[in-house]
Amino acid sequence: MRPVTRAQPLALALTFAFALAACGSDPEPPTEQITVSEPGAAQTAPAAATAPEVAATDPVAAGKAAFAVCTACHSAEPGAAAGIGPNLAGVVGRKAGTLEGFAYSEAMKASAITWNEAELDTYLTLPAARVPGTKMTFAGVSDPAKRAAIIAYLASITG
Amino acid sequence: MDNTDTLKPQRSRAAKWTRRGFIGAGVLTGGALLIGVGVRPGNPVGRLGPIVAGGEGEQLINSWLKIDADNIATAIVPHCEMGQGAHSALAQMLADELDADWSLVRVMQAPADGNYIVTDTARLFVAPGTLGAPDWLEPTWNGLFTNIGRLADAMITGGSSSVRSTGQHTMRIAGAAARHMLVAAAAESWGVPAGEITTANSMLRHAASGKSAPYAQFAAAAAGQAMPQTPPLKQPRAYRLMGTDAPRLDIPAKVDGSASFGIDATVPDQQLSYAAVRRVPVPGTRVTAMDAEQARAMPGVLQILNMGDFLAVVADGYWQAQQALDTITAEYSPAESTIRSSADQYARFTAALDAAGDSGGDEAASHGDAVGAFASAATKLEAEYRTPYLAHAPLEPMNATAWVREGKCDIWTSTQVPLMARTAAARATGLSTDDVTLHHPLLGGGFGRRLETDYVTMAARIGAATGYPVKMIWSREEDTQKGVFRPADISRFKGGLDPDGRLVAYDNAFTQRHDPPGAFDCPFYDIPDKSIRVAEAEILLPFASLRSVDHGQQGFFIESFIDEAAHAAGKDPVEFRLALLGRSPRHKAVLEKVAAMADWGTTAEGHGKGVALVESFGTIVAEVVEVDMTSGSPRLVTVWCAADPGFAVNPDGFCSQMEGGIVYGLTAALYGEISLRDGAVEQSNFHDYKMLRMDECPAIAVEIINGDHVTLGGAGEPGLPPVAPALANAIFAVSGRRLREMPFAKQFS
Repeated sequence: MRPVTRAQPLALALTFAFALAACGSDPEPPTEQITVSEPGAAQTAPAAATAPEVAATDPVAAGKAAFAVCTACHSAEPGAAAGIGPNLAGVVGRKAGTLEGFAYSEAMKASAITWNEAELDTYLTLPAARVPGTKMTFAGVSDPAKRAAIIAYLASITG
Repeated sequence: MDNTDTLKPQRSRAAKWTRRGFIGAGVLTGGALLIGVGVRPGNPVGRLGPIVAGGEGEQLINSWLKIDADNIATAIVPHCEMGQGAHSALAQMLADELDADWSLVRVMQAPADGNYIVTDTARLFVAPGTLGAPDWLEPTWNGLFTNIGRLADAMITGGSSSVRSTGQHTMRIAGAAARHMLVAAAAESWGVPAGEITTANSMLRHAASGKSAPYAQFAAAAAGQAMPQTPPLKQPRAYRLMGTDAPRLDIPAKVDGSASFGIDATVPDQQLSYAAVRRVPVPGTRVTAMDAEQARAMPGVLQILNMGDFLAVVADGYWQAQQALDTITAEYSPAESTIRSSADQYARFTAALDAAGDSGGDEAASHGDAVGAFASAATKLEAEYRTPYLAHAPLEPMNATAWVREGKCDIWTSTQVPLMARTAAARATGLSTDDVTLHHPLLGGGFGRRLETDYVTMAARIGAATGYPVKMIWSREEDTQKGVFRPADISRFKGGLDPDGRLVAYDNAFTQRHDPPGAFDCPFYDIPDKSIRVAEAEILLPFASLRSVDHGQQGFFIESFIDEAAHAAGKDPVEFRLALLGRSPRHKAVLEKVAAMADWGTTAEGHGKGVALVESFGTIVAEVVEVDMTSGSPRLVTVWCAADPGFAVNPDGFCSQMEGGIVYGLTAALYGEISLRDGAVEQSNFHDYKMLRMDECPAIAVEIINGDHVTLGGAGEPGLPPVAPALANAIFAVSGRRLREMPFAKQFS
């Protein structure tokens, strides 16, 4: 694909030759600079109160929000196709590794778990610890309140 | 991908390494292979030694090779490693000519230093003809381009060029020259003729006297020998490493986590602070006011900067900086461009194409009388294709670390252009380039995004404002929405068939022409009357090369249209193309190979197969996509890929690059779209700028044809261009629905 018009290699040559000139202009300092502290100086700013991540009032709504991270792999919409992980609509009460059409790991199929709140809580703490060999490469949800909310959300969906 | 293993066709690449192919190529070029001067006159080991060979017992032989006391040969590679395997492939080329033992070979990233400009890459882009120049002219061309290259900071990794330029024209010569110098040193010491000394596995041997020694023993003496500028290179039948799947040298560190990327940078003996940044939402606007009252009271915050074109918060930690930045509100100056939406952008293209009409615009590459041939054609076709803006979305977030103090600046960053990055930092700080040190570790993805230095300039400006070391990290949202993009475009095609269904008239008009030269053409197809025209139009978002650059769009335009022409002629798409390839035997062989791989002509119920053929970056690639439309929307089944890169130096690495290009291209084909609203980018992160997922990935089979061992093609980009048109053509084959706009997935929801 070499033969082209003459203009283009020339343009490229110029790009090379003048890349230096095109790199930037004179130094441009800040138009506004607010110095609060120096690195390593003791913190004077008060630690902001951390907002509770899970609202106490509506665990299902909080669980739905917390489930966002799970949607990278899972859908919880009844009837939706499996993604990287199986559809989770109706997972509470389901026997592990049995949703038709999803290629589970042997470990999950052999786990003999029936998903209830307690099992999900253990599993979601660290999936690979509860079912060694699971395909679910997820570090787990360490916050118990967040786990409870996610489980409440999953329990609210019927497959 | 355990569950798809049974479906995955096996790669069978070894089958193509026929001896006949090599002998054929050898006859064309004659005896010993002479291609260029990898080493410059005057061996600079004295000056470079302390920079690159400061380790205990290390001896620099020439700019590109050092050997240590343990007989470890380290190739000093001027190109960057962003996952494409260039470091290892270039070391493999040098090591083969050196007769080195692969287990004793290491690779080192060449520093950002004028001695490591990639002269032959500059030649490949600016004047490829000089790479085949007669031997006696080599020193002249080499000297000229070395000077141009230094002026232009030409230390570049892009254009799928590392192996075919620096590998073929520098590293091999460096290895062969070093071998020659080692032999000369041993001959002198042993008092035997150099011609009686043989080399293998990093050892020198003299059979008659029974003497032998590791390379290390003569490394110092070799460095003092005269360096040949045009040493004879091996013919393919003598290759020991090239053409083999020599294990990649960069993989172990990536597996055990010790590999260091730009974002891993630390500053020795210094505390590092972190900057989060927010650029203006609409290109070309400025910050006119900011309210940072809340941010200044937040934990860890050190400084808040209004840089005019961006805001920055510097804090003890990255997350503190980002959280504080998110609370800052700002006002911006009005936009200069009247392009506010994607519709505005496409309207700009349409207006330019309308103004160019049937024969206007800049003639890019034309021959014959396309207008006349179209007027008298038996069958006429017209089609318009569209492609949107794309973001590169490299996995490693955009980042750079700057420490500016006392007339000095150090930058740590992942970049495809280390010397340009150094110059950018010098400009941003007002220092000379000699006062700037650019450290450039591995890249967590480049795709062309890191050919730009905008982020280096930003970090250097932050560093100059603070005076202490700061690591600037962009959020994913910032990377998706700001910076530089692959442009959108519209292409308008006209074609004419004669009564026998042969393509006799061809006209392609479009608005974007960037790189590489000739990407808008398909000269391997024999079409008598052809015109290719550019009607330039304004684009709102700043341009950057994105993997395969113009070929990504033109491949879709051209190969969709060729397919439409085949169907209009009532011919099989493979047969139709083969009939146009009478003068292009290598292209024909690649197309025939992929058709055989894909069992072309057979299709499962509800499935469709589509084909496309593109030559880009010197490599000819044909792909067949099989798609399953039984659910009503496309599901990828298999992609077969046949490629002729001239010669694949590391076939496994080459296949990986084809696979990577295919997956990146399928992401663009199905999902890739950056759209505009109120002059700003609408998408923000991977939830609305989707990547192809594991569960959507097709099985991919790649086969290599080695068609020319002298003029090599690239690997990083050529796998991409054929896949989108092959998918569109497959969807048409099964559904009768012609997709003329990317991306495809949303057109089925």
